Amino acid sequence: MKLNDIIDCDVHPHPRDMEEIRKYLPLPWRNRLQMVNSRGMYMNPIHVNRLDSVTPDGGFPCSDPDFMRKQLLDAYGINYAILLPRAFATMYPNPDFAAAVAAGYNDWLADCWLDNNNTDGRCKGSITVAPQDPKLAVKEIERWAGNPHMVQVMMDGGSRAPYGQRQFYPIYEACEHYGLPVAFHPGTEGVGINESPAPGYPSTYIEWHVGLMLAFQSHLISFITEGVFERFPKLKVVLVEGGSAWLPPLLWRLEAEWKALREEVPWVKKRPSEYVRDHVRITSQPLENPDNKQQLLQIFEMMGAKDILMFSSDYPHWDFDSPTRAFPKLDEETKRRIFFENAKELYNLD
Amino acid sequence: MAQHRVATVDEIRPGERKLVQIEGRSVGIFNVDGTFYALRNVCPHQGAEVCLGSIGGMTVCGNQEDGTLSELRFEKAGEILRCPWHGWEFEIKTGKSIFNPQGCYIKNYPVTIGQKDVADGGILRVETYPTSVEERFVIVHL
Repeated sequence: MKLNDIIDCDVHPHPRDMEEIRKYLPLPWRNRLQMVNSRGMYMNPIHVNRLDSVTPDGGFPCSDPDFMRKQLLDAYGINYAILLPRAFATMYPNPDFAAAVAAGYNDWLADCWLDNNNTDGRCKGSITVAPQDPKLAVKEIERWAGNPHMVQVMMDGGSRAPYGQRQFYPIYEACEHYGLPVAFHPGTEGVGINESPAPGYPSTYIEWHVGLMLAFQSHLISFITEGVFERFPKLKVVLVEGGSAWLPPLLWRLEAEWKALREEVPWVKKRPSEYVRDHVRITSQPLENPDNKQQLLQIFEMMGAKDILMFSSDYPHWDFDSPTRAFPKLDEETKRRIFFENAKELYNLD
Repeated sequence: MAQHRVATVDEIRPGERKLVQIEGRSVGIFNVDGTFYALRNVCPHQGAEVCLGSIGGMTVCGNQEDGTLSELRFEKAGEILRCPWHGWEFEIKTGKSIFNPQGCYIKNYPVTIGQKDVADGGILRVETYPTSVEERFVIVHL
């Protein structure tokens, strides 16, 4: 089976059912988990997961490490999958429960996908943390930092404040200390206790889903203007599934204003685009798809995609990007960097 | 065009489908209200096996002109195929996408019904069908 030097930076394993995940939550939280594989609102009304990703025995999509390998890793010759579970921990009002859910998902991920059923070592994982209590999040990072398969910390994009703000710094301090990137993935924006980039609640799934990129834009502006990368010079941030083509005009605006308003944010000592190049990586799915593919290539050029974009598929979700079909034709070097090298360097993979 | 017997008419009930291999291509045979249609099993979007998608109808609405824009109707029950990946909608009868019928469509093939003595251009499992003068076959023309 041939490996094509592809790293898939966004794959979503799911517990088969409530029974499978519940047992990993500590008491007393175990019996209080109400939902699995759902956040309760803003779910795709057509289908959430690829219809053909149901496992051979009728199990939940991407609940079986072997079938995931067959349908995704082996089918496309993918070297590594970076796994991001869907704990939706940031939506809960109870910080202890949120931390317990995050911890339960980490134990489940390690037991079912990383420490077992992973002899080829192709699955790498994310340490889910809940930001509602940053001290508990730090404890959770400390608990997992030594696991060789955990390659990053992850939080949902849905939050009660832009993620560049200081209440989150203990988390970033721990990430920097352990050399773990911190990844953000959408899903709880406007859900549960969270604010959202929309001025209120979008009426439809499509409205909400298209708008998720706005949350990521907000978080990125926050990271830069709050000086997070000055404070934590070794920290890396990964923006997963938040889109990417919006980046160049956002940075043009941010840089223009920084030249005028540096006085207000003196800790922003470099051009914003330099911080992005040095500290931020972005995953490709859902890849923007203009009718004129040349325009996307132009945006890649403006964005410095060669250095910061990383391929992702979002398997098994409905808006999956095929490794062979989602991208327009790229030159060899750009392709290699986007599909392999950028992630290999970020996550220290062989 | 080569003719391929892909099924007996009784084999695929209304609302059902069958996936077959014809000349190295995967093709989905659909029975919509008693008429058969054949669609190439490749989605024009990203190449998914579109014939594995969900079969259903579609929601449409009225017009601004007569004040019925918010009135929803469900129509074409059983005639719409949704790709199993991104959910793009296609008319089974024509292969045409709903959002861009002229520019985006699934390749489709003519289908006729014939008796057992129709010339068979393909390599199929016809030899397993019981031979009888009443037997009628779904024939795809490639």
